[in-house]
Amino acid sequence: MIALYNNKIWKLVSYVTALVLIVPMLVMLLGGVSASTQLFLHLWQTVLPTYLENTLLLAFWVVLLALLFGVLSASIITQTNIVCKHQLRWLLLLPLAMPAYLVAYLYTDLFDYAGPVQRNLRTWFDWQSANEYWFFDIRTLPGAALMLALVLFPYIYMLTRGTFEQQDQNLIRASRLLGLTAKQSFFKVALPLARPAIAVSASLVLMETLADFATVQYFAVNTLTTAIYDTWLGYGDLGAANALASILMLLILFVVLAEQRSRTGLRHQSARPNLKRELIQLSFGQQILASLFCWSLVVFGFLLPIILLIIMAVQYSDITQLSALVSTGINSLKVSVFAATIAVFIALLLGLYQRLHADKYRHLPLQISGFGYAVPGTVLAMAMLSTLGPVDHWLNEAVEFLGFAAPGLMLSGSLFAVVFALVVRFSAIANGTIISGIKQIPQSLDYAPASLGVNLLGSLTKVHLPILKPTIMMAWLLVFVEAMKELPAVLLLRPFNFETLSSQVYQLISDEMLEQGALGAILIVLFGLLPIVLLNKHKEKV
Amino acid sequence: MSTLLTIEQLSITLQDKSILSTLDLSLNEGDILGLVGASGCGKTTLLNAIAGFIKPSTGRIVIDDNLLNDGEHCLPAEQRQVGMIFQDYALFPHLTVKENIAFGLSKLSKADQLEQIDHLLTLLKLSDYRDSHIHQLSGGQQQRVAIARALAPKPKLLLLDEPFSNIDARLRNELMVEIRLLLKQFKTTAIFVTHNKDEVFTFADKMAVMAQGRLLQLDAPSIICQQPNSYQVADFLQLGSWLPCQINATSAQSLLGKVNLETSDSKRESLLYLLVKPSNLLLKVSTDANNHMNAQVEYISVTEQGNHYYLSSLDDSTDDESLAFSKLSVYSDIVLSLKQKVALTIRPHHYLFFDKPT
Repeated sequence: MIALYNNKIWKLVSYVTALVLIVPMLVMLLGGVSASTQLFLHLWQTVLPTYLENTLLLAFWVVLLALLFGVLSASIITQTNIVCKHQLRWLLLLPLAMPAYLVAYLYTDLFDYAGPVQRNLRTWFDWQSANEYWFFDIRTLPGAALMLALVLFPYIYMLTRGTFEQQDQNLIRASRLLGLTAKQSFFKVALPLARPAIAVSASLVLMETLADFATVQYFAVNTLTTAIYDTWLGYGDLGAANALASILMLLILFVVLAEQRSRTGLRHQSARPNLKRELIQLSFGQQILASLFCWSLVVFGFLLPIILLIIMAVQYSDITQLSALVSTGINSLKVSVFAATIAVFIALLLGLYQRLHADKYRHLPLQISGFGYAVPGTVLAMAMLSTLGPVDHWLNEAVEFLGFAAPGLMLSGSLFAVVFALVVRFSAIANGTIISGIKQIPQSLDYAPASLGVNLLGSLTKVHLPILKPTIMMAWLLVFVEAMKELPAVLLLRPFNFETLSSQVYQLISDEMLEQGALGAILIVLFGLLPIVLLNKHKEKV
Repeated sequence: MSTLLTIEQLSITLQDKSILSTLDLSLNEGDILGLVGASGCGKTTLLNAIAGFIKPSTGRIVIDDNLLNDGEHCLPAEQRQVGMIFQDYALFPHLTVKENIAFGLSKLSKADQLEQIDHLLTLLKLSDYRDSHIHQLSGGQQQRVAIARALAPKPKLLLLDEPFSNIDARLRNELMVEIRLLLKQFKTTAIFVTHNKDEVFTFADKMAVMAQGRLLQLDAPSIICQQPNSYQVADFLQLGSWLPCQINATSAQSLLGKVNLETSDSKRESLLYLLVKPSNLLLKVSTDANNHMNAQVEYISVTEQGNHYYLSSLDDSTDDESLAFSKLSVYSDIVLSLKQKVALTIRPHHYLFFDKPT
């Protein structure tokens, strides 16, 4: 369509903003690529193959398990007459709010040798030592994969369920009239049509897995993210960390491309999603199996961990914990409010630029600014360090040259770096929300103000922004919540002695003392629930 | 009456595709122009160029002696004093009826605004809805609001983009008459785009037919119907069906016989197409010496005007394939059956021959 305006300042600001958001990653990549081949060779001969192998293996298992959990549960919920369907429908989303590292810690506590499960088994069967029986070991790569899949499968569940529900029921009716049973229609029509959605959601799970840091670190499974963390914090080797981060980044880029390819197939929209669908009738045995499957996902992915956390909180909470919680909570709040506000502002700037401006490449700033979402927090942290570090040095020299005292690490050692990283990482969420809001505005509303003699500024303040108000609030909240939960970037970039909720919980987990932070952990989960509740409500309304 | 809008040599290229080419058009003050043409012919693009939503590649647009566009300069849309009624009305969903109408009036004082709004609300029978939100109104009411909003700032020219396409067929005619009266009352000059020629007859003073980015003919609707200036115009407006004729100096020979030409114009021997309206064809089925069968029934439908037939020439009637016809449209009270042979003759009338564009 035709766009109306050509505001030069807006254009400049848009491109510069997009550039600023992506420059750190480019600097890091440059640093990674130009890291001496000797260093790379060294990495390759020592640890890199194991890291890579672990990363890929983990990704493989997580995606496989999450597909099994997600597609199967979505199919059961939408296509069969399972009991308690309406409850399960939203209960299955809840595990998304559970950070994988929390689940990992809680289940280790529960299932390892000293945990209550094995202890009780030993008393019941009178076993004396671990040699007398077999019990699965959770602190392994498959264990980590299971933990991640348990909390990531809702991505697949959500998108697949959505596609099934949006499918044109006349297609299914046509297939029935052509002689297929409900079950056959599902396998021959509904499932193939859902393939693009499944692929997209699987790549989301893949990205999250590649980005995971805390779970694998806790399980001592060495992947690229833990390697980056150790190389930088353990050995202080920026070059090697950059090289590792660059490799991870290339992996991610690969996934992003795959995701965008699948997205182009995501176009089977329906005008008749509300037609009544005919459900596959489960036999008694099938009913029990299906219920068992869905309920165990809900229980192990959400209910059991949250109950364990609540028990911990009740048993161990005291006043000192509460005051620590308040101070870290305020820190988290501060960081998240900054990040959400800036990200939403940028999304509006670039989203409305794309919508209203006559520039052949008007989509470019928005696209560029959204790229950070795919980038793992650890990689992003390396990007910030390798960009802001030199800028800080340069600033210090400049200030000293002018005869003042050096201000220290103003950018890389302050909240600035944390907020910057969060904005880069979560801009895509703000962008996506704002853009879908903008798309809801009919194109003719862009033209109407001009036809009534009102200029760009008037159009923005009187039409676009007022109409977008609910969208803006939604985008802000989503980024806010994600920023509250973000761990690895904060862990690597936070100023000395600065703890957020998530970094504190993680520290306590590392020290095997989660009891001290159970309240904080519950808070993180509650924040995680917020967007799920909101998005679910929002979807139901639309 | 003075000329309000002048468009000279307007060309528009979008994404390396020529949408409009060297288009000229002028419109008198107070006239309502109906712009028709097949979809994709550039009607809406022309409207958008006049409104200032598209920058033309070359050409001039002048309204009331104000230059809106020439090769370099392009007056921003908000400074043109051109109003528009959008196909989807583009009413602001977050504002009330009153606030929508007030939107373009911010330059007036509050008191003047209120007076103008009240005047329009009364005129458009919207007084009961002044504080309603848009989604509470029916389609017809929404259109009235759109009209009130567009007229409020007193634009010099009002553009309407398929304004009646969203309106129920039964209501449409009524609404068109009503709006036409309103525009006349305001002495508004207007251009409206449609693909429905019947709307032009009801709504417009002038008609412009466009095809492939060019203006083919601009005149009063009745004149265009009687004197279309090209095959394309007559064909688009479906003024009749086409009979191939071989033209000689003084006569035209077709499978339906020979007709004498009133003026022996300079058209040399050539194949042209005669525009035949159903009323100019005489259909007979009786077999006497004077009538020889020269056509057969291919398609039958029943309409309010009697039976409607499509007739084709007989396969063995001629060696000259170029004279064969396949779809002559005739209305008749006689009941015919498929493939029935009939005798067709042309009534003498003012003959219109056109070259068929290839």
